[in-house]
Amino acid sequence: MKRQLSSKEEHAFLRATIDNMQQGVALYDADHKLVTWNERFVEYLEMPEEFLGTDRTFSDYIRYLGARGEFGDNIDIEKELAKRLAVLGTSHSFERTRPDGMVMEVRRDPVPGGGFIAIYADITERKKQELALRKAMEDAESANKVKSSFLANMSHELRTPLNAIIGYSELLAEDAQDRGDKAALGDLEKISAAGKHLLGLINEILDLSKIEAGKMEVYLERLDLPKTIGDVKTIVDPMIAKNGNRLIIECPPDIGTLNTDLTKLKQCLINLLSNAAKFTKQGTVLLRLSRHTSEDGRDLVRFDVGDSGMGMTPEQVGRLFQAFTQADSSTTRNFGGTGLGLTITKHFVTMLGGTIDVVSAPGKGTTFSIVLPDREGGEGKTSLADDLGLAPEGVASSITVLIVDDDPAVHDVLSATLGREGYVLLHARDGAEALSIMRKSPPDIVTLDVQMPKIDGWSVLGIMKSEPALEHIPVIMLTIVDDRNLGFSLGASEFMTKPIDRTRLTALLRKLAPAKEDSTVLIVDDDADVRELVANTVRGAGMTPAQAANGREALGWLSNHQPPALVLLDLMMPEVDGFAFLEKVREFDSMKDVPVVVLTAKDLTDEERAFLAERTLLVLSKSGQPIGTLGAALSALAHRHHAGAAKAGQ
Amino acid sequence: MMKVLLVEDNEMNRDMLSRRLARNGYEVVMAVDGQQAIAMAGSESPDIILMDMSLPVIDGWEATRRVKADPATKAIPVIALTAHAMAEDEKKARDAGCDDFDTKPVDIQRLIGKINALMDGK
Repeated sequence: MKRQLSSKEEHAFLRATIDNMQQGVALYDADHKLVTWNERFVEYLEMPEEFLGTDRTFSDYIRYLGARGEFGDNIDIEKELAKRLAVLGTSHSFERTRPDGMVMEVRRDPVPGGGFIAIYADITERKKQELALRKAMEDAESANKVKSSFLANMSHELRTPLNAIIGYSELLAEDAQDRGDKAALGDLEKISAAGKHLLGLINEILDLSKIEAGKMEVYLERLDLPKTIGDVKTIVDPMIAKNGNRLIIECPPDIGTLNTDLTKLKQCLINLLSNAAKFTKQGTVLLRLSRHTSEDGRDLVRFDVGDSGMGMTPEQVGRLFQAFTQADSSTTRNFGGTGLGLTITKHFVTMLGGTIDVVSAPGKGTTFSIVLPDREGGEGKTSLADDLGLAPEGVASSITVLIVDDDPAVHDVLSATLGREGYVLLHARDGAEALSIMRKSPPDIVTLDVQMPKIDGWSVLGIMKSEPALEHIPVIMLTIVDDRNLGFSLGASEFMTKPIDRTRLTALLRKLAPAKEDSTVLIVDDDADVRELVANTVRGAGMTPAQAANGREALGWLSNHQPPALVLLDLMMPEVDGFAFLEKVREFDSMKDVPVVVLTAKDLTDEERAFLAERTLLVLSKSGQPIGTLGAALSALAHRHHAGAAKAGQ
Repeated sequence: MMKVLLVEDNEMNRDMLSRRLARNGYEVVMAVDGQQAIAMAGSESPDIILMDMSLPVIDGWEATRRVKADPATKAIPVIALTAHAMAEDEKKARDAGCDDFDTKPVDIQRLIGKINALMDGK
């Protein structure tokens, strides 16, 4: 059993503990008088004996450090002190760099019964490592960017001379043929064949590297199948004829249309047909199209490419879709090809939401089958009236949502989920289309993809916020998030640029904050003039402003108060900046539903935009799992939107 | 004889392609940039235009848009020729109004197939 310590013993133990700690410790009583400390504290803060020996208070200590230049030159020490005193009642911590370069983490915790304890840790090494790590990551990212642009440039640089090699050798071959010079003709054809092989390799390696980098994009369009098959036939006819094969096409004339990516479908079919032609001699190659329905009722189109060629063993079939492997290593010698065609075909089919299968036996030929879904909603169609007319009856039937995304899969997922909820959906595949739809018929809510070709989501948002007719439409930014961020959805729905437009700020407050008179708006900005300006506007809107000069003060405020109706957050601030604030505010459960509006200088770097995309604006995954979150967010926004409109109309 | 307007800024490509087209029985007129292409689409009345996309002065996308915007020339089929065999390049070319698309180095038989297909459709 534990022996009861005498108070003298307990005091001795505690004293020893404090003296042997790695951190500096200073303890203040209820009157903020410095009552005890350890050697580390004296060492870290370079405190002279004469200061410590007397009856000093926390304010004396801060003033002394300030006069010594501890917090830098040209500071208002009374302001610094006021900031520190304001948060003494709560546990808080911050980092600062000492004049000698030491990075120090300062933590202050209230002690039960009054007073507080200050703990100082030397985190210089940790910071160095963090910086080194961040730098290593940045280096890796930039190396990857360099690689991508290198590949794109190299592809162009390689093609230009290849162009000449292939073109002129073919020209000469035609001349040789006219002259009947068979020896020269054979050699020239070899040059041109080698050039074409090299070209094919370059194209496919580039495709594959784009696929692996996630940069291959899908463009959906409704294509006429018989016409598409006709185009494919034109391209493969010479290859089919080369080995004396016959091409049979079975395409029902009423097969109709398919919503998919034309170029990728064509490339898949050409790959399969040219393979079939390559491995078959004096035989037949078959292309057959048929329509099917999946188990869950979706329309499917099946493409079978069969040949009467040599066929493959099960082992060979197993290796088929791996990059750079053909049925066996002698295949390349005998039949040419890069060995990448099937790998790319499989990737494309997957990107189009389909499947690819193969049936083969030695001596019995091979049949590849691609099954593609007839995808809906992806095409940037603007059948507004139709969509509106077809709106299903539902709770949300009066709310129109414009989905802006270049990824058809996102349209599919959102159409399925939100359509069921009764939202009226409009679709746009890029920023320009989104803006044109919005101008024609403003939706109630917009979901906006961050990364799109040409005009990205941020630019669309910026344009919307500059147009009076569009600036009030709530926007949900959609971006890809990792698992760590999946559950985190801090519902900020706006960001504003400085200089602040007061009309817009007032409108924003009306829209986002619930119409209660005692609503508080927390203003976090290090510029007192900006704070005052914003505070006036907040008062003018009938709400109560609260102010914090940086993220740390804001965190301190939050731990002592009821959650505010809204936080207006500057990004660039001393001590704890807006980014760090957004990181730390996640720990407050009560803040989950509080909108954060970022007030920012106009020019954000790409990194900052990426950070904000993940953390401030509503973050949702495209994987489809947290769709419930989106539904909840939409109804919350719609509610706010309608409440705001009602209030504005009063 | 069918008249082809070949728009290509690279001298070697222009030389090669014009000789091969001529050998296959086409009359070839040439432009070296987008501006010249627009002017010659009007003055030469070609049956078809083969348009490189990366061109000086006015690029191939813009030149195609202008040819297709002019009632006098909009009926002339345009085939985009580009060295970038990317899916989005084809999409971009078609968005500019090109009727078909092919990649360089040109496979002359395939290109002639495309020319014929467009002329048959008229």
